[in-house]
Amino acid sequence: ESYKVMLNGPAPWGFRLQGGKDFSMPLSISRLTLGGKAAQAGVGVGDWVLYIDGESTSAMTHIEAQNRIRACGDRLCLTLSR
Amino acid sequence: TFTAWCNSHLRKAGTQIENIEEDFRDGLKLMLLLEVISGERLAKPERGKMRVHKISNVNKALDFIASKGVKLVSIGAEEIVDGNVKMTLGMIWTIILRFAIQDISVEETSAKEGLLLWCQRKTAPYKNVNIQNFHISWKDGLGFCALIHRHRPELIDYGKLRKDDPLTNLNTAFDVAEKYLDIPKMLDAEDIVGTARPDEKAIMTYVSSFYHAFSGAQKAETAANRICKVLAVNQENEQLMEDYEKLASDLLEWIRRTIPWLENRAPENTMQAMQQKLEDFRDYRRLHKPPKVQEKCQLEINFNTLQTKLRLSNRPAFMPSEGKMVSDINNAWGGLEQAEKGYEEWLLNEIRRLERLDHLAEKFRQKASIHESWTDGKEAMLQQKDYETATLSEIKALLKKHEAFESDLAAHQDRVEQIAAIAQELNELDYYDSPSVNARCQKICDQWDNLGALTQKRREALERTEKLLETIDQLYLEYAKRAAPFNNWMEGAMEDLQDTFIVHTIEEIQGLTTAHEQFKATLPDADKERQAILGIHNEVSKIVQTYHVNMAGTNPYTTITPHEINGKWEHVRQLVPRRDQALMEEHARQQQNERLRKQFGAQANVIGPWIQTKMEEIGRISIEMHGTLEDQLNHLRQYEKSIVNYKPKIDQLEGDHQLIQEALIFDNKHTNYTMEHIRVGWEQLLTTIARTINEVENQILTRDAKGISQEQMNEFRASFNHFDRDHSGTLGPEEFKACLISLGYDIGNDAQGEAEFARIMSIVDPNRMGVVTFQAFIDFMSRETADTDTADQVMASFKILAGDKNYITVDELRRELPPDQAEYCIARMAPYTGRDAVPGALDYMSFSTALYGESDL
Repeated sequence: ESYKVMLNGPAPWGFRLQGGKDFSMPLSISRLTLGGKAAQAGVGVGDWVLYIDGESTSAMTHIEAQNRIRACGDRLCLTLSR
Repeated sequence: TFTAWCNSHLRKAGTQIENIEEDFRDGLKLMLLLEVISGERLAKPERGKMRVHKISNVNKALDFIASKGVKLVSIGAEEIVDGNVKMTLGMIWTIILRFAIQDISVEETSAKEGLLLWCQRKTAPYKNVNIQNFHISWKDGLGFCALIHRHRPELIDYGKLRKDDPLTNLNTAFDVAEKYLDIPKMLDAEDIVGTARPDEKAIMTYVSSFYHAFSGAQKAETAANRICKVLAVNQENEQLMEDYEKLASDLLEWIRRTIPWLENRAPENTMQAMQQKLEDFRDYRRLHKPPKVQEKCQLEINFNTLQTKLRLSNRPAFMPSEGKMVSDINNAWGGLEQAEKGYEEWLLNEIRRLERLDHLAEKFRQKASIHESWTDGKEAMLQQKDYETATLSEIKALLKKHEAFESDLAAHQDRVEQIAAIAQELNELDYYDSPSVNARCQKICDQWDNLGALTQKRREALERTEKLLETIDQLYLEYAKRAAPFNNWMEGAMEDLQDTFIVHTIEEIQGLTTAHEQFKATLPDADKERQAILGIHNEVSKIVQTYHVNMAGTNPYTTITPHEINGKWEHVRQLVPRRDQALMEEHARQQQNERLRKQFGAQANVIGPWIQTKMEEIGRISIEMHGTLEDQLNHLRQYEKSIVNYKPKIDQLEGDHQLIQEALIFDNKHTNYTMEHIRVGWEQLLTTIARTINEVENQILTRDAKGISQEQMNEFRASFNHFDRDHSGTLGPEEFKACLISLGYDIGNDAQGEAEFARIMSIVDPNRMGVVTFQAFIDFMSRETADTDTADQVMASFKILAGDKNYITVDELRRELPPDQAEYCIARMAPYTGRDAVPGALDYMSFSTALYGESDL
């Protein structure tokens, strides 16, 4: 089941992103900062990140995903899956 | 005068009187006188001379006078016998008056007046005579002359007489009268002239003599006239009678001619002729009869006139000659009128009849023509032999058509009857052309009978044919009903007999063989059925031949011919042995297959377990961890070798398997191991041994790389094995968690703990396989116990190159790293967007984490 979160910035968002196409692993949340914005928004460790700001992550490399997130600036919109 | 007068009369009796007073005393001469005057005989006089005789005679005379209606007042016979002059003269005067004068009837006047009137009449043409009385008027004598001249003009030349010479006149008259008229002179001329008023009586007496003389002549004349008149009347009457007779006979003749014409009942043939007749009759009535009616009327009138005339003229009634009597005429006329009426009636009837006849004749012609046109061709149609080549449905159709025709025929029956009735009527009404009508009618009737007969015959033929065809049809149906299933059975049998079978077991082939034998057992009955079916067909043929029914049609219910049946039967018969053969061959084959199976099975049963055993052994090795990794490795390599050496066996099995496959054997109850099993097992074995070897090698590497001691390794291994309950070489999440706990990882059952565990899982099972391999486990363990994140190390390294900045520049990269690596980094590093950023600053931190697939954001 997928769900959306809208995090209001600024960064840091308080999560560690893991994976990417170049690692042959899906993009997922490997760690959450306690009380961080992501944790507060209900993001869970191990959840997959499906969309970053509406863009599908299926073909993104790790660095592409990283850049996309960074590019969102003060408002980050993510679609995740538990 | 009186004496003269008496003598004039007595002269006729041949006697005279001398003295009027004396000579009548005896009455004898008186009686004579009376006799002469009256013309009648008195009673016989007494011949005696005695007084009484005289008185008797005188009385006789007086009685006679009295009997003549003369009243003798106070005149008695005795006075006369006694010679009473006055009486005697009076008596004589009375006699004169009665017989001479009183006789004078001129228009019913009295004697005197009559006489006067007579004189006036006779002297009317003489202008110089005017008689008004019996005295003075006569004085000039012209009166007498005129009278004479009037009756006998040759006796007096009246023109020479003169009124002033009365004497001459009188004398002339008296002379002539005496000489030629036998009238004695009773008067004296001088006496008359000399007397102022002459004696009326004397004159009267003398004039009456004239009257009697002339009226005698007159009488003669009158008589002659009367005779002439009578004769004339007679002649007239005769003429009338003649006319009548003529008219009557003409009329009768005409009637006689006409009646036959009216009674002619010769009928005409055509209306025109009759109408002409009617026209003639009308002419007759309008032109010819009316004159005749008039004639008849005239005849009647004539007759009546004649009769009246005859009656008036005291003639006997007219009796027309025989056959010309009024009754005859009337009868004849009646007959004519009767004939007329009859004729007219007849004419009208005839015309009506002819009209009716014409109408009937026309009706007859019409009906006959219509009928003839209807019957035209019907005989030919009925005699068609179309049913001989018809099928059953065609016959039925023909029958239906025939039925329709029959009802049509029936409907026409009364038409024929009508025609006959009309012909009959024409005959009864005496139509002139009856023969031809009858001939036609007869022809029609004969034809009608013929049609009826033909219809019947055709019906019979159709019905007969129908029956035959129905029978045949039944047989056909029967045939079809039996042929079809039989045919199906044969086809089924053929199919079955040729059925290619795929059997895989001996049992199967045996089953087929048994079935085949069973089938063979049914053949005799089948043959019987075949015969029966053919029998039906033959029956049909027989009927066709016997009744010469046209077999243009074939069996409508089926296309299966006996020939076909027989052909198939033969085929079936042929197929049976072939099948026997095939079954036998198959049986052999199956047996062969069985052998192959057995062979394979035997082999597989050896190889399979061997592989299994080896797998287990290999697994155990890795799990049990006897000796060092190297020892394990060697052990494993030994196994590897033995496995490799075992390959031929596999190959051989493959060979057997191929045979089996080629023989299309798909099952093998002799072994539970399929080739696939073996293959898979073999490959698994190969894989397992390789992997296990690899694992051990990796472990060696890891151990060496990470510096994990053998004891540590063994501990890890032991834990892992302990929690790997199913000996799968992997751990499930719970198993892993428990394992971690056992190894000292504090993973609580709270959210933090869950999160931490999730993190760990994402590391050890990044692909979310759901299991943790020993290798991954080792890696994780070594990582956790080893140094910090390599990502941090890389980041620390970059930081050094960046001069402790949070970013690095392109120049620095190019300066510090080899060109390829430098360009690699430059291409991939994102621009640094920190607060202390400068243009061209690159973010090496994200890059570092990204290298390891982890970024902190």
